[in-house]
Amino acid sequence: MAEPGNRLIFFWGRECPHCAKIHPTVNDVSAHLSKETGDGITELEVWHSEENAKLMRNYGDVLKKACGGSLGVPAFYNEKTKKALCGMTTTREQLLKWATE
Amino acid sequence: MAAKKLWRCNVCNDVHYGIRAPTVCPTCGAKNAFTLIDYPESMKVIIDRGDRLDQIDQLLKVWDEFAEGKPFRLNPDREFVRTLAKGELENQKNHGMKYCPCRITTGDFEEDLNLICPCNFFIQPVYKETGECWCGLFVRRE
Repeated sequence: MAEPGNRLIFFWGRECPHCAKIHPTVNDVSAHLSKETGDGITELEVWHSEENAKLMRNYGDVLKKACGGSLGVPAFYNEKTKKALCGMTTTREQLLKWATE
Repeated sequence: MAAKKLWRCNVCNDVHYGIRAPTVCPTCGAKNAFTLIDYPESMKVIIDRGDRLDQIDQLLKVWDEFAEGKPFRLNPDREFVRTLAKGELENQKNHGMKYCPCRITTGDFEEDLNLICPCNFFIQPVYKETGECWCGLFVRRE
């Protein structure tokens, strides 16, 4: 798994149904990336971990834009490129592009 | 927006929180009956009779009533809705408010008031685009 500052992060909430729905796609993309590059996607739950919530807030400016104005989950942040994706309609193709560009 | 204040109806002790006093008391119908009240006094006026909204079925009923006669309805997928209700009750227990489980608080109290469910989702781009609020709890009627 990549070191902090170099990670592909999936921010999610335990009671967010959209996060549960998108989880298999994230797992699939993460497995694919691990095989290709050695680094998968780091999953950070934000409603039951203040530490993870703080990290998400640190990336708030970029994530808010991706989420349409407010912080939301499911959200994805690439620490290397500082690019984000957000929302239930995120596709496998978008995730792969976000992770590898 | 001007600062909100607390007002008390001098006929039935209804308490209102807003920038101005209601002209007509929504509880007893008295006209021009509201006057300013201070916060500690208002807390004494509002007697805690143990009313709570801390059960999933209670929330579902409140949301159904909220959507009645409006251009949106509660998501018909009841399991999905129950998961959201569970999340909101978890958030109330852990964070003090029924924040949307598909959002995350910023730490700014005023800003986070916008995340209490039901939020003002009509103004959200996602509602305009998809016909659903951010978490999918409310969906536009066909």
